[in-house]
Amino acid sequence: MFTHIFIYRFKCLIRDRQLVFWTLLFPILLGTFFYMAFSNLNNEETFKPIDAAVVNDSAYQQDSQLRMVMQSVSKGKDRLFNLKTASNQAEADNWLKQDKIDGYYTSGEEIKLTVKETGISQSIMKSFVDQYRTSSSAVTNIAKKNPKALQNGLLKDVGEQRSYTKEVSGGSAEPNNVLNYFYSLIAMACLYGSFWGMKEVTDIQADITDRAARVNMAPVHKLEAFLAGSCAALIILFVEIMILLAYLQFGLNISFGQRTGYVLLTALIGSVLGISFGAFIGAVIKAGEGLKIACLIVVTNLGSFLAGMMYMNMKYLIATYVPPLAWLNPVNLLTDAFYALYYYDSLHRYALNMGMMVLFIIFFCAGTYLIVRRRKYASI
Amino acid sequence: MPVFKLCMKIIRKNWLSISLYIVIFLAIAITISMSTMSEQKKSSSFSQEKAKIALISEEKTPLTEGFRQELAKSSDFVKLPDRTEALQDALFFRNVTYILRIPKGFTEDVLSGGSMQMEKTVVPNSTENAYVDINVNQYWNLARIYAKHEPGASQQQLVKQLKTNLSGSTPVTIRAHERAITSNSFSMYYFNFLAYALSAVLIMGISTVMIVVNKRDLSRRNFCSPLKASSINAQLILANLLFATASWVILVVFCFFLDSKSFATQNMTFFLINSAIFTACVASLSYLIGNLMKNLNAMSAVCNVLTLGPCFISGVFVPQEFLNDTVLKIASFTPTYWYVQANARIAKLTQFGWSDLSSIIYSMAILLVFAVAFAALSLVIGKRRRLTN
Repeated sequence: MFTHIFIYRFKCLIRDRQLVFWTLLFPILLGTFFYMAFSNLNNEETFKPIDAAVVNDSAYQQDSQLRMVMQSVSKGKDRLFNLKTASNQAEADNWLKQDKIDGYYTSGEEIKLTVKETGISQSIMKSFVDQYRTSSSAVTNIAKKNPKALQNGLLKDVGEQRSYTKEVSGGSAEPNNVLNYFYSLIAMACLYGSFWGMKEVTDIQADITDRAARVNMAPVHKLEAFLAGSCAALIILFVEIMILLAYLQFGLNISFGQRTGYVLLTALIGSVLGISFGAFIGAVIKAGEGLKIACLIVVTNLGSFLAGMMYMNMKYLIATYVPPLAWLNPVNLLTDAFYALYYYDSLHRYALNMGMMVLFIIFFCAGTYLIVRRRKYASI
Repeated sequence: MPVFKLCMKIIRKNWLSISLYIVIFLAIAITISMSTMSEQKKSSSFSQEKAKIALISEEKTPLTEGFRQELAKSSDFVKLPDRTEALQDALFFRNVTYILRIPKGFTEDVLSGGSMQMEKTVVPNSTENAYVDINVNQYWNLARIYAKHEPGASQQQLVKQLKTNLSGSTPVTIRAHERAITSNSFSMYYFNFLAYALSAVLIMGISTVMIVVNKRDLSRRNFCSPLKASSINAQLILANLLFATASWVILVVFCFFLDSKSFATQNMTFFLINSAIFTACVASLSYLIGNLMKNLNAMSAVCNVLTLGPCFISGVFVPQEFLNDTVLKIASFTPTYWYVQANARIAKLTQFGWSDLSSIIYSMAILLVFAVAFAALSLVIGKRRRLTN
């Protein structure tokens, strides 16, 4: 009997084209849009040599020290500047106006910087020349007090700029913040699965749909019928999430970290969470279908918003200032589980998220069971 | 005008779901516009950009304190608990872009010419990383040089010397070009987001009306009546236009409340013209969709895809300069692209001569062509449908 109901529920569910659209096609489309819109964002952050110019006047000609430094930072792969030499100030001004350069230097008693606006490239240009200026004044200062220093290799020491920092990575994964959009998208897709769960519950309550009335006529235990139907819903949702994951991973090259097994487990738990949430809402709200749908949509979309799907920093803000909300938002729990898998080496936070989701699932299932059980219909 | 009245009745019935859209969009538009806007500074004098740094020091010496003060000139310190996950989180969401850890014994080592290094955790290859590195290395290199060539000095004296040495700053001139008030203003972002709100509201509203009116029984009943087909059509179009205009006015009025400073500028006139043309364009697109579709249930799916898609790829959510060229090429087949492009140019206008306006007018003309094309197509389809029905 279980297989019989399972097969027919499966057929019944899969023919609901609208639900298939919202739980499968819509996330895929949205993922594609995300990919198109955000794929360039990380490149924007990457350092590119700054387009700078220097005015080649007599002062610059005479300042061989500056010329040498300028040339040395404009060479090689790790260069700071793409340096251009302007024959006079008017030319440099013109370049600045046409956005060909971010700023230009004029040498003289004091090196001056001319820019068009405030920004990070301009600040780097300023810091660079600050550094040059302070080094040369250090030489003057020291030489004044201690003239021997010059023979002791002071200039060589100044010329030798050491790096006092070494990069250590925080974890094995890069902090690629665009990923959060995709993780919250998967979480949203799982929670959209709640529509399947709600459909299951409405199709088991004889006072709500005709189909449920027919199912209740059959000499099958209600729990058995419900479980069979829920299994069908779960399988459909899980397969959909798998398709979405595969599309993101292989189609759009979204990284999920190395631990594939855990990623699949998270997808499964997410699917169960979605179904049980829908079932719970379907059982709790007695009023019309419109209200139930509205409730699911509001919870899912508000949850996605708070998990950073529309505005990434939202997730961080919530986690920093209102931590309980982060733990009570199922969309955030799922997003955070994917994030923790990708980003952290330890599984501690992942386990916390999964534990919290399991608690939610138990709560939703128990609630649904207590509401739906033993309901008898004398007449409808 | 019975048909007109019917349309109004349908709209009134759906008023709640439509206005819900408006409220949600306004909320989102305002939060996002504000957050994007606060990142843009409008100042006429040069101010050094500040990087967000978490500085964790395992030792406290006069030099590290002096270093902290010097670094504060080019960075904002963000206080973070010294836990791996908290630090990693902050870096991922760019609450900090540079985490610097001064190990124990670092000062001593630098002063004695050793090769100890501080540990930094950064967004790999980022611009801010390069920026902070310059400032960090500058301080410790100077400290090393002073320590080597003035061996007698105590740490306090060293800090003092470094402080005088590092004081003063390179003079920076800003070749300020005249800047429009609306450039990077709230209004610009708001009008960009308007593309989303308007598309959603109009497609939702107009298409719903059209689907209901086009229902087979209803339209048959209507054509039985002693009204001319042209009159029915005219009334339908009139009702939809009224709805479109009302939505446009409501959304624009909010902008007036939120950014009244920009409202007095001449640029605003062009924002208004541009958005009005866009409204016409989306209205005729919605009319077309309403004529093509038969099923109200599929409505929200079509509405979502048709509004979200073009908005994502045309630069409503992510500015056009951050999108790659292929995406923009695809986007140029949608009216939203031209609308956003015109908006960006209008925002920067300081002069209103023909040469400044021509590119804007070109974008608007393309929008108009879209509008006419959609309208013509929907009239043809509507006609054919009536004949086959």
